[in-house]
Amino acid sequence: MTRSRLRFLLLAMLAISAFAFAACGGDDDEDSASSGTTSNEEAPVADVPEGKRGGKLLELAAGDVDYLDPGHSYYQFGFQTIYAMHKPLYSFSPTDAQKAQPDLADGDPVISPDKKTVTVKLKKGVKYAPPVGREVVAKDVKYAIERFFTINVGGQYTAYFNGIDGAPKENSKEFKTFPGIETPDDYTLVFKLTKPVGVSFAAALVMPVTSPVPEEYAKKFDEKNPSTYNTNVVASGPYMIENNAEGKLTGYVAGKSIKLIRNPNWDPKLDYKPAYLDEIEIRTNASDANVAARQVLSGSKMILDTNPPAQILPRLERQFKDQFTQVASGGYRYFPMNTTLPPFDDVNVRKAVLAIFDREAAVKARGGAFVGDIATHILPPDFPGFEEAGGLETDLDYMKNPRGDAAVAAKYMKAAGFDSGKYEGDEEVFIVTANVDPGKAQAEVAKAQLEKLGFKVRLRTVPQDAVYTEWCQVPSKKVNMCGSAGWFKDFADAESMLVPTFKGAEIRKDGGNNNLGQLNDPAVDKAMDAAALLEGDERNAAWGAIDKQIMGLAPVVPFIWDKTTLIWSKDVVGVGNPYNSLVDLTFTSIK
Amino acid sequence: MAFYIVKRLLWTVVLMVLISAITFLLFYVLPTADPAALRAGRSPSPETLALIREQLGLDRPLIEQFWSFLRDLFLHFDLGNSFVNNEPVRPTLLDRIPATLFLVFGAAIVWVVVGVTIGIVSAVFRGTIWDRILMGGALLAISAPVYWLGLIGLFLFSEDIGKFGLLPGSGAYQDADGVLGQAHALVMPWIVLSAAFAAVYARLLRANLLETLSEDYIRTARAKGLSERRVVLQHGLRSAGTPIVTVLGLDIGILFGGAILTETVFNIPGVGRYAFEAISRGDLATIQGTTVFLALGVALMSLLVDIIYAFLDPRVRY
Repeated sequence: MTRSRLRFLLLAMLAISAFAFAACGGDDDEDSASSGTTSNEEAPVADVPEGKRGGKLLELAAGDVDYLDPGHSYYQFGFQTIYAMHKPLYSFSPTDAQKAQPDLADGDPVISPDKKTVTVKLKKGVKYAPPVGREVVAKDVKYAIERFFTINVGGQYTAYFNGIDGAPKENSKEFKTFPGIETPDDYTLVFKLTKPVGVSFAAALVMPVTSPVPEEYAKKFDEKNPSTYNTNVVASGPYMIENNAEGKLTGYVAGKSIKLIRNPNWDPKLDYKPAYLDEIEIRTNASDANVAARQVLSGSKMILDTNPPAQILPRLERQFKDQFTQVASGGYRYFPMNTTLPPFDDVNVRKAVLAIFDREAAVKARGGAFVGDIATHILPPDFPGFEEAGGLETDLDYMKNPRGDAAVAAKYMKAAGFDSGKYEGDEEVFIVTANVDPGKAQAEVAKAQLEKLGFKVRLRTVPQDAVYTEWCQVPSKKVNMCGSAGWFKDFADAESMLVPTFKGAEIRKDGGNNNLGQLNDPAVDKAMDAAALLEGDERNAAWGAIDKQIMGLAPVVPFIWDKTTLIWSKDVVGVGNPYNSLVDLTFTSIK
Repeated sequence: MAFYIVKRLLWTVVLMVLISAITFLLFYVLPTADPAALRAGRSPSPETLALIREQLGLDRPLIEQFWSFLRDLFLHFDLGNSFVNNEPVRPTLLDRIPATLFLVFGAAIVWVVVGVTIGIVSAVFRGTIWDRILMGGALLAISAPVYWLGLIGLFLFSEDIGKFGLLPGSGAYQDADGVLGQAHALVMPWIVLSAAFAAVYARLLRANLLETLSEDYIRTARAKGLSERRVVLQHGLRSAGTPIVTVLGLDIGILFGGAILTETVFNIPGVGRYAFEAISRGDLATIQGTTVFLALGVALMSLLVDIIYAFLDPRVRY
């Protein structure tokens, strides 16, 4: 798996989506329409340095973007370019990791009291880059979402949007218009939903698919199989990829480079992004990270796409203090325990495993403190619900000591019926992990922890790509523990973090299952259903409480909240965006 | 000779069809990976996978798929589209070929010149200190992995991150203007790539030359009063060098598939980098394209070697 893909490790298939909820807890309904954000008044707001306008930046990247088509990309690195050249309805500024900023939208989304209608007003005067050049209107967003569901375009997170009335559950062969997207005028979008999932739907409006696509221009490309809009994409944001008069991208050479230049039709008054740089070249074949990182640190006007190699990290503090930042990756890594099979079908055994577990060792196996903080629960820092779930602290005795606590572990083993304080049964613990580090190294740490409790462990290493699709996500394979699991955000909403991975109703027995511990607790499911209808602080408090509720059942060993280290040259004012843990090209500048 | 060349060309076509068939079997029939799953992205549903199979024509009978594959390959040199980014493989591959050819042929010139020179000097001065120094150096060069040598070269001599900035470093090829600029950017990659090859050729030539120089006809040449230089270069080298030609042809052919490590370290956008990216991302259509190209390179170079062989060695007649 590539470096960047690690971030979206299990993001898999949001078939587990937030939209499958049965509406219960209706007594929480509000009387009037409300603003659909998950904002928290106490949310951290970062300072972003002022920049100087002008200059050219070179980004060295290990590989290419997946797609430039905002309807097809679903990859952290692709998003970096897409957010620089498109205006989705909402997007995240590096100044605030929790509250999305209206981008193409003019103000927050308005959610109806029954949570089944979401209305978004658009800014007037936003224009497409050449060759289209006309003003962006509401029907362009409608078309963007409708085309996303076709197999020719191949939208990859349909589950976030298939709650729209008329939308298919999955990609379909034919292009269809959705009665559930209304455009009463050029600057108003009304989404009609089949279920009361307006809050989580509104949170998903930051996804690139909400970037406008002009139908009259894109249709001819979208009719091809697959769509060729990817290399003819038209921008609406501050930057565009260099193109010719027909719109064909001349500044994109697959696997080689992407040349971003200013969109001449972009109006800075209609955007919160300063867009300091005149030109950005992304070299997508700098595959030797060691060489590339050194070139960036000792060179001029350069940034690196993502984490530099581990051997360079310690030198940053000593030699390059002003040339790096660390941003929370908005995710967590964990060892899920299969709650349906012995020995982890006993909650006290699971608590004993959490108690004995040396999480510090597992973090070291991934690269040490530089790569993240030791997790004490599930929701990560700088994320809605994190503080409500306990912040960096925990009340649970079996999570208190990050290096493990044999006495607490023995207490829970005794509670499970093992008088010696260690496991006395015959069951073997079957762990599956990747055959490469860090997945392999961290699974070996897990094996050692389980052996401390007396378990017999069988560790099977398989190719990275097979870990999930062939083993951990397939309940019939009877894996007791997955050795390298992680879950990372698509947007700042706790529901999208906890529902896919811990809701019993989301377990898929036939494969593609993301509830790896197969936790099926009716009380958790009920609390999730109720929390899905809440907004604002109430929502964050509810999801924080659900995090605590899950940790009380100990289905997983969360061990790290990832951080990404971003580096740049000495003459660059780099700004990291916590939304996708990469340098924000629209806020970065040259000194 | 003309008949022989035509015959070999026909065999090359047959060989390419066979290689294409094997490639097709490997990537589409044997359960190495599901192209539809690769195209679909993360955790697709069975319904989405079925639609993509239909879109890619993977639901058609195998023989029909194979026929389409062969037809597209041989009639249009169409290698399909990347499963990762939908981009057609052919233009991307064609865009990468010049960099690889420039790298490979430049390095080949370096390793032939250096390797042959060292081989001759070592053979002529057999057992002397020069022989020992040169053969010791050759052993070192063979033992140094290209990747390691490349990094050491960059950390010592590249203009951007090197201790002694003498030569253009990683990524310089992409910034270079014109053929001369590109050649300048390739000086270090040529040296790095050619080091091990030059060492192998030097050892091979030395051994062959020592054997040749003890032949009766060499003694006869010397007895006739020919100069030592003429004996070695005209009579000895002609015979001892023919195996070098065979090896050279195959080496160049194989490197057509890309000098992956050199291209990676020096960030040269060649076929090797393209193949490496495809392998790391599981992009079967691209892997297949680069495989077919590599096979074509090896087949053509083998043909060329056989023809040159006939000219070099009068004993060989077809």
